[in-house]
This record gives sequence, structure tokens and C-alpha cells, in this order.
Amino acid sequence: MNPFVKFLSRRAGFLVLTFITFIFIIFLLPRAIPGNPLSTLLSQLFQRAQQNPELIKAVYRQLMEEFGIGKPLHVQFFEFISRTFTGDLGTSISAYPRKVADLVFSYLPWTLGLLIPATLTSWIIGNLLGALAAYKRKTIVDNALLPVFLTLSQTPYYWLAMILLFIFAVVFKVFPIGGAYTTGRIPALTLEFALDFLHHYTLPFLSITLSAMGGWAIGMRVMAIYELRADYVSYADSLGLPDSKILRYVFRNSMLPQITGLALNFGSILGGSLITEVVFSYPGTGFLIFTSLSRLDYPMIQGTFVLLISTLLLANFIVDIAYALIDPRIKTGYTGG
Amino acid sequence: MTLLEAEHVKAYYSIRNSYVKAVDDVSLSVDRGAILGLAGESGCGKSTLVNTLMMNIRPPLRLIDGTIVLDGIKISEMSRSKLKKDVWGILVSIVPQSALNALMPTKKIVDFVKDIFHYHTDMSRAEIVSMVRKRFEELNLSPEILHLYPHELSGGMKQRVVIAISTLLNPKLLIVDEPTSALDVSTQKQVIKLLVDLHRAKIIESMVFVTHDLAILRQIADKIAIMYAGKIVEVASTDDILYTPLHPYTRGLVNAVMTPESEVRKRGITFIAGEPPNLLNPPSGCRFHPRCPYAKPICKEVEPPIIEVRDDRIVACHLVESFM
Repeated sequence: MNPFVKFLSRRAGFLVLTFITFIFIIFLLPRAIPGNPLSTLLSQLFQRAQQNPELIKAVYRQLMEEFGIGKPLHVQFFEFISRTFTGDLGTSISAYPRKVADLVFSYLPWTLGLLIPATLTSWIIGNLLGALAAYKRKTIVDNALLPVFLTLSQTPYYWLAMILLFIFAVVFKVFPIGGAYTTGRIPALTLEFALDFLHHYTLPFLSITLSAMGGWAIGMRVMAIYELRADYVSYADSLGLPDSKILRYVFRNSMLPQITGLALNFGSILGGSLITEVVFSYPGTGFLIFTSLSRLDYPMIQGTFVLLISTLLLANFIVDIAYALIDPRIKTGYTGG
Repeated sequence: MTLLEAEHVKAYYSIRNSYVKAVDDVSLSVDRGAILGLAGESGCGKSTLVNTLMMNIRPPLRLIDGTIVLDGIKISEMSRSKLKKDVWGILVSIVPQSALNALMPTKKIVDFVKDIFHYHTDMSRAEIVSMVRKRFEELNLSPEILHLYPHELSGGMKQRVVIAISTLLNPKLLIVDEPTSALDVSTQKQVIKLLVDLHRAKIIESMVFVTHDLAILRQIADKIAIMYAGKIVEVASTDDILYTPLHPYTRGLVNAVMTPESEVRKRGITFIAGEPPNLLNPPSGCRFHPRCPYAKPICKEVEPPIIEVRDDRIVACHLVESFM
């Protein structure tokens, strides 16, 4: 068998195994949290139907049946598995009767729109600044940049979010305190809405970009310093290869681990920058996960996490393959050829 | 006729407020067409010296004093960028000590070669490829190797590829820094043969060969310079160094060589006692005096002058007359 195919099938096997393990954990963990998810729903129902106690019993039974909460765990588990593999993520409890999948897909564009540009921006700027710091090592440039990187990378992103919110929305009132657009406005492709959107977008975007940038820059700086000392650099130098070209070699070789990091980051994007979204009341999937966790909405929690983990595993899988294709040394290592 | 003339070269590593005197007042010349061997123990400054000879100097290493003239050009006064553009790879090339990791790991060898020579010649990339293919064939290296990645080659093959790349533009001087120390004996032989072939075919004019292996120098070198603790202590023809060494350190080195040849074997094998000095704070007077079995009081106090005992033979030792 072609060694690369063998490598691929081995990776795919691990992928399936990991996925099944995750499904099991996703199923068990929310149920370990004390409380009955139906209680909130029922109390609302109760107020409306106080006159007719019989109705409540009927609805309760119907709901228990629909969500399968009263059944033994293993029965629930197999129902969950069989539904998941047919693509049905169930019905939300807290937003009953909306479907989990519909909810996730209505929140997803906001998260993607926030996180993809923010992640890419922080990755690109972080890598460039990190490489610059490595190249200018032991000069004022590096001495000035490194403390900034260190501070940013160690700043909790939610704390940075709150600080930004406090300074620019509460004290100076330059930016709105939350939401993705002014309440009451209807999303449309107009200039007015776009400006309103960007106005709300700035603070969440900045808080994610800034806090992620430091880590990328530090990683790149360390890798580039290591590469700059490599033997191939001094050899190319001694044969007269221009510095600019040598730097491109160094950048290329230092990038490899950073690409992995980026891809893994994209894998977890569905989870959103959970607390950032909560801080800014940004209607993304992170916000959705947060609310469903606090309301013990089992189907919602399971559904979002199944999607989250699928994308994470898929991203991991793609990185493995891409890595083998980019770096010839790894290809040999993986395929044993 | 000399190709390379270095006079009173001092190259120090500056570390905080002090200097590591890795090359201290060294004068050395390489004749046109000659192979000069440079021998000495690890840490004596051999690699620093040869890199200084081609002005491949980066902080913390600095050229403190001295002039270096290569092929009539005073390279000790040229800027790094000018050296890169007009001298390195063209007039002088080095085969580095770490040749096994000297190739760009994520590029095919041919692309690395194209990059390097595209930037300081007028040749197009296609011309470079045909040139390097032709050269590989001349040197009995398969041109197919060019389309491999470095990690796909064996150590000896990498070493030969690096030598072929370094000499592609027919540099006048080739500096080879311990090319065989990481290789097994049969591979060493192939590498030495390649270097000798390059020299015979006049692809390179002269060579400086750095090693601590006197047996290899005996096969190829015309002259040998012995280095100890940042200084050249003796320069003489290969036969003189091996059969009538004058400086006590040279004698120690020669006596430490194991060899099956009977005339040498009679002498028995001895070792040099003690350890190489710390170059941050070298011994006073003659730097070898703490380890020298013949040391006299003067050796501790006065630095020995360079004495020309014959036309082509210099020694830096106070007691040289008693050895002759």
C-alpha cells in the first residue's frame, strides 16, 4: 500500500476513535450538573395554565418523552448517538420549539465574522512583529517589543475585553457597550447598517486581536532566533546570499509551527471567544453556549459541542495532512519512507 | 606568489568588558596553487582564524587589527555587503564545519543553488541549473541528487554536495573547515579525493584545510601551520612538521598520532599533559609554557618572537636552537 495512503487511513482511524470518545463525554458531562432543565420551561407553562393542572401533567409527559429525560441513561445515549449520526441535533429546551441546528447556524455568521478576521489579523501582525524582533535582537527594537508581547500574551482576553469596554464605552462612550448592532435595527446591506455594525465590532475585534497577538509574536520570535543561528543560514551567508533572501528562508522555516497553531485556532472558532462574546453581549455561538450551559439545555449543549468538536478534529486532520505536504522532512517521518 | 596574505591579524570575541583572544597577532600566507594545512586542538581558534581570513566576521567577533589581502584585494577594509556581493563564493568559499546541516532543509538542493548564485552573478536560473548539473557530472556526482531534499542524502553525500556548491564559481581559495571529522573512514577518503580532484583540475587554485588530523594533512598538504591558543606556533613543509618538528607543541601533536608505519611506531605514543588554556585569560609569555616539558623561566615572562629558522620555516619558541 502507498505509505501516504496508509498514513492517511491511520489518521482517519484515530479521528473516528477520538470523535466517539468525545461524544460520550459530551453526553455525560451536562447530565452530571444538578438540576432539571425542564423546570424553567415548566414554570413558565405553569403560570399560563394555572387553571388546568391536568394540562401541565400532559405537557410534562410530552416534553419528558420528547427530550427523553426520564429514560435510563443508556437509552438516552443511544438515541442521542443515532440522532447525531443522522444529522439531527435535537430541539432546544430553552428556546423550545426551535431546532438546535437552526439556532447554531443563525448565531454562527456573527462569530465567524468576528473571529476569522481577528484571528488572521493577530496572526499576521504577531508573526511579522515577532520576526522583526528576532532579526533586531539585542537592539532597542527588540527591547521595546518583547515586554509588549509578554504583557499582551499574559493578559486574560476577557479581562482585556472588560478593560476596553470600561475605558471606551463606559468612561469615554466612544463605542457602544454591547451587541452586534443597535437594537431594533434590521440587518441589511446598507452603508448605514455597515457603519453601525463596525462601530459595535471595534471593541470585541480589538480585544481578541490584541490578546492573541502577543502569543503569536513570542512564538515566532523564538523560532526565528533559533533558525537565524542554524547552520544553513551561516552557510548561505558565507556564499553571499543577500540578507533579505536569508530572512525569507528563516521566515519560511519558522512559520511551520505557526501554521499548525493557526489551523488549530480555526478549529475552535465555533466555540467563539466565549467570554468576549458574553462581555460584549455579542450574538455569537460562544454566547449561545454560555446561555445554554446556564440553562442546562442538554440538546443545545450537546449540539453545539458536537459541531465544535467536529470542526476541531477536522482542522487537526487537515493540519496533519497539510504539514506533511509543506515540510518534506515530516512527510518522510510520517510515511516512514 | 602569494594568493592570501594575512598580517598581524587580531580577531577577538568581545564579551561584556573583556576579550576572548581567539586569533592573536597571526600572520599567515597561502601560496598560489598550494594546499596549506592548519592543525591544532579543539578550541585553539582554528575556525575563528579561517573565518577571519575570508572576513566572515560577525559580532561578538571583531577584527581588532591587521590586514588581509586576497588576490591583490585588501578585503580587511571591505564592507560586509561588498564582500557578500563580490568576494564570497567568487574569490573565496568555505566548506563549513557543520556541512551536514549546511543545506536549506525545506528546499530542494537545486533551488537553494539557484537562489545563491542568481543573486550575485548575471546568470539566469536556467544557466545556473545547467552549470551545476555539468559540474556534478564532472565530479562523479549524479545530477539527480539536485532534485532531492537535503534530508534524503547521506552524510558523506551532503558533504560532497556542499563542496561542489562552494566551488561552483571556481573560487581562487577554498577554505575547508574539518570536513571529515563527522564521517567514517571510507567516506573521509571520498571527500579527500574530491578535494584533491578539484585542486588538480584547477577548479580551485589554493586551499586551506583545517583539521586536527595530521594523518590527513600528510596526504594532501604542501605546508602545515600549527596553531595553539590563538597563535601560530610553527609553519613548515609537511615533511618537516611530521619528521622534524621543532616547537614542543608540534612535537607533542606528532607524537600523539597513532600510526601503523614502522618508522614512526618505534617512537611510541605520548600525550600532551594538561589542558588547553582559557583564551579569556591566556598564560603570560609563551602560551604553551604551563604544559611544555622544556619550559624555562624566560618562557613564562617573555612572549617568544617568530623566528625564521629557514626560508620556508618559522617557529615561535625561545628554545628553538636547542632543538635543531
